[in-house]
Amino acid sequence: MRKLFIDTASHNRIAAIIDNEQIKSLKIEQNGTDLSIRMLPLIKETIDEASILPNDVDEIYVVNGPGSFTGIRVGVTIAKVYAWTLNKKIIPLNELELMATTKFDGDLIVPYIDARRDYGYTAIYDKSLNIYMEPKHMSRTSLLESLPKDKKIVFVSYDNLDIEYEVIKPEIDIMKILNKHSNDIGLNPHECNPEYLKLTEAEENLKKELNKND
Amino acid sequence: MKDTYILAIESSCDETSVSIVKNGRDEIATVVLSQMDTHANFGGVVPEVASRMHIENITMVLEECLNKASITTDEVDAIAVTYGPGLIGSLLIGVQAAKTLAYLYNKPLVPVHHIAGHIYANNLVKPLEFPLIALVVSGGHTDLIYMKEDYSFERIGGTLDDAVGEAYDKVARVVGLNYPGGPLVDKKAHEGKPTYHLPLPLNDDSYDFSFSGIKSAVINLVHNEKQRGNEINVENLCASFQNSVVEILTKKTMRALKEYNVKNLIVAGGVAANKGLREKLTELCASENVNLIVPSMKYCTDNAAMIGAAGYYAYKLGRTANLDLNAKASDSLK
Repeated sequence: MRKLFIDTASHNRIAAIIDNEQIKSLKIEQNGTDLSIRMLPLIKETIDEASILPNDVDEIYVVNGPGSFTGIRVGVTIAKVYAWTLNKKIIPLNELELMATTKFDGDLIVPYIDARRDYGYTAIYDKSLNIYMEPKHMSRTSLLESLPKDKKIVFVSYDNLDIEYEVIKPEIDIMKILNKHSNDIGLNPHECNPEYLKLTEAEENLKKELNKND
Repeated sequence: MKDTYILAIESSCDETSVSIVKNGRDEIATVVLSQMDTHANFGGVVPEVASRMHIENITMVLEECLNKASITTDEVDAIAVTYGPGLIGSLLIGVQAAKTLAYLYNKPLVPVHHIAGHIYANNLVKPLEFPLIALVVSGGHTDLIYMKEDYSFERIGGTLDDAVGEAYDKVARVVGLNYPGGPLVDKKAHEGKPTYHLPLPLNDDSYDFSFSGIKSAVINLVHNEKQRGNEINVENLCASFQNSVVEILTKKTMRALKEYNVKNLIVAGGVAANKGLREKLTELCASENVNLIVPSMKYCTDNAAMIGAAGYYAYKLGRTANLDLNAKASDSLK
């Protein structure tokens, strides 16, 4: 079983080929404005390095959010077109859960992606990646207020967070998240889309407007 | 000679479209999924909403088009895609999809400029005859292009600020017509008379256009009349606006034809559907013995068939790209 892993949602862009439960090739580059230029070549280089052909891939695992909207869309577009046209299984992964694969010393881990104005994308997991709080877009203030006091909590974030909890940098474990999801049934590629966890500003304004008129 | 099939993708604004075109002339199948109804809720295209809809629809539109054409991606000769100009987030979806298909099937990747597509929409109706002048008018563009042969573009002028379609939509909004207002302004204009005095926009020796001035003039006029408690005659105001805009567009276009000694004129883009512009150009071209080509309505708006038509000539000239192709929000036509 050969797996292609694609992550374009965060500070790094990653492509990996996993064959027989082992990482055969792995490419990581720092993400930037050149993502749309580099991502497909990066995937090609990863596939070439594993000495396989595109059609030898059986399953595609793609991080579909949350994170940079454009970043997610680059990865998901490639993954869904790939899965659709070559009839491959496609499984979406959550960026917050991927960050939560980082080793930590405590009971719960809180991955956090800063989204400006006190808001962020966040969730809470235990060491086995069981969900303690579903991924959501929420204010940091209400997140900090809602954290359980009787558990040791560690934050994991690419951002510099000025909070009273321990904050560690993500060191993701790709095999851990793949193993957790290896029995997922997957999606119809047409239905594999970004999970932004947030409406666009225009949609939010329209919603407010409609509520006002009700 | 062997036939050449191009699979073309267009996603530069609010239409997700895929087409299969044979030899740059025959449209085998095209699917256009318009987001217009969604954006109408916001009074205009919202870029982030547009990108979100493109990614949700891209594989479905690809599948429907290939099924309609009874062809597989493996059987086409090249993949063409609009790389720009347009909304960057929208363009990205089409570009990533095209790059992925080109890689997986080892096909040449052909980047196409959106304006080249609008011009070549006419090639799907009748082969282009050279030399020609193209007047490209839409919600995002207003350009005068000189072409001495296939796929050679010289931009001799264009708008310095708003695109003509943009000005139409703005005027429509100010006088209370719905989005997209361009066609409605055109309709109202035909029911009224140009009784309002509006300036003729950038009436100089260049081939450039400027529509922000006349747009502001309309906005101010409506505002002042309201302050005075006077009713606006929407039909007459639309007629006055349209009159000025059509006058300057046709004046500079006819001068370009004369100076470049060209007898073929192509009109392209969404505003090519404007009745006032079509009527005036038909009249002027008849008296000047100019061969006027205006595309049928379905080719005026954004579609991938025109990208497939232009893509064929780009492909034949070897103008292909590598997998590091990027989308560009703005880029001059070369």
